[in-house]
Amino acid sequence: MTDNRPKVLVVDDAATVRLYHRTLLDEAGFEVAEAANGLEAVEAALSTAFDLFVVDVNMPKMNGYTCVETLRSETVGTPAPVLMISTEDRPGDADRAYAAGANLYLVKPVNAERLARVARMLTAGVAA
Amino acid sequence: MGLVRRNAPPPEETAAPPTTGTLMRQLDDADPDCRREAALGLGGVAEAVPALLRRVAAETDPLVRDAVLTTLAAHDTAAVATGLGGHLASDDAGLRTAAAEALATMPVSVPAIIPGLLADPDHDVRVMTAMVLADLPHPGSQTWLAQMIAEDDHPNVVTAAIDALLPSLELEHHDLLRAAVQRFPDDPFLRFTVEAALR
Repeated sequence: MTDNRPKVLVVDDAATVRLYHRTLLDEAGFEVAEAANGLEAVEAALSTAFDLFVVDVNMPKMNGYTCVETLRSETVGTPAPVLMISTEDRPGDADRAYAAGANLYLVKPVNAERLARVARMLTAGVAA
Repeated sequence: MGLVRRNAPPPEETAAPPTTGTLMRQLDDADPDCRREAALGLGGVAEAVPALLRRVAAETDPLVRDAVLTTLAAHDTAAVATGLGGHLASDDAGLRTAAAEALATMPVSVPAIIPGLLADPDHDVRVMTAMVLADLPHPGSQTWLAQMIAEDDHPNVVTAAIDALLPSLELEHHDLLRAAVQRFPDDPFLRFTVEAALR
């Protein structure tokens, strides 16, 4: 049986954050995969067509901004929307995210309702 | 027939290794490969630390920055810890995460700067400090993370500290985690994190 749920890749080095976002998005009707840093995310994106990326900023090996830039580069070239979620709320953090290619930037913590609403908005039109 | 004496081949010319001064100048070379080789070549050279700290602040090439940080971290001195600790507040995500990774490999000098980092008014710096403590091989790491969970007034710092403590979580920490939920009853992620940790 084919899983028609929109595919989301949750990218965060914190295991608890990945579990939290996986739980919320799974309950909201998404098929969820995980990556622990930007490099893993890029590798996953090269082999799977995700419908949405939920990406942290501060991660080892490859930070979130570089990850999003790579996802948008010719190497990967994914058109899927990117939601960046970070603890960083300095002036300019959101601008940096948008410059990298993110569609939306939210500051942690993001509650269940908001995450589900935003994820559905960003994947509107994808079969569920 | 007499033996014919063959001319001995001329000795190979070998270039002298670059001096410390040359390598320090090459840290500012326009070629990133040259800068990277210079950074790696300055391993163990104490007098190069100030130049390496200046370079890491200015470097935009991730490979060169990693090389500079690798060389700096191997020194594991107070000057390096203080210099890199300042980058935890950087607006450059690549620099602050790379600095955190380097600091986490410096168990000799980093403990001295932890109290200052825990008291930093910027909660993002304290979140990055939890990231350092997560991997710092030092017997005090657990205690500092527990202190963050018990005392920090920002929920993102507390959840970062809980996440960092998770791999070494012990029974004695359970009350600490429950108390954190009591302190931030309206934070769903913190509650989720604690429930997941106590499962």
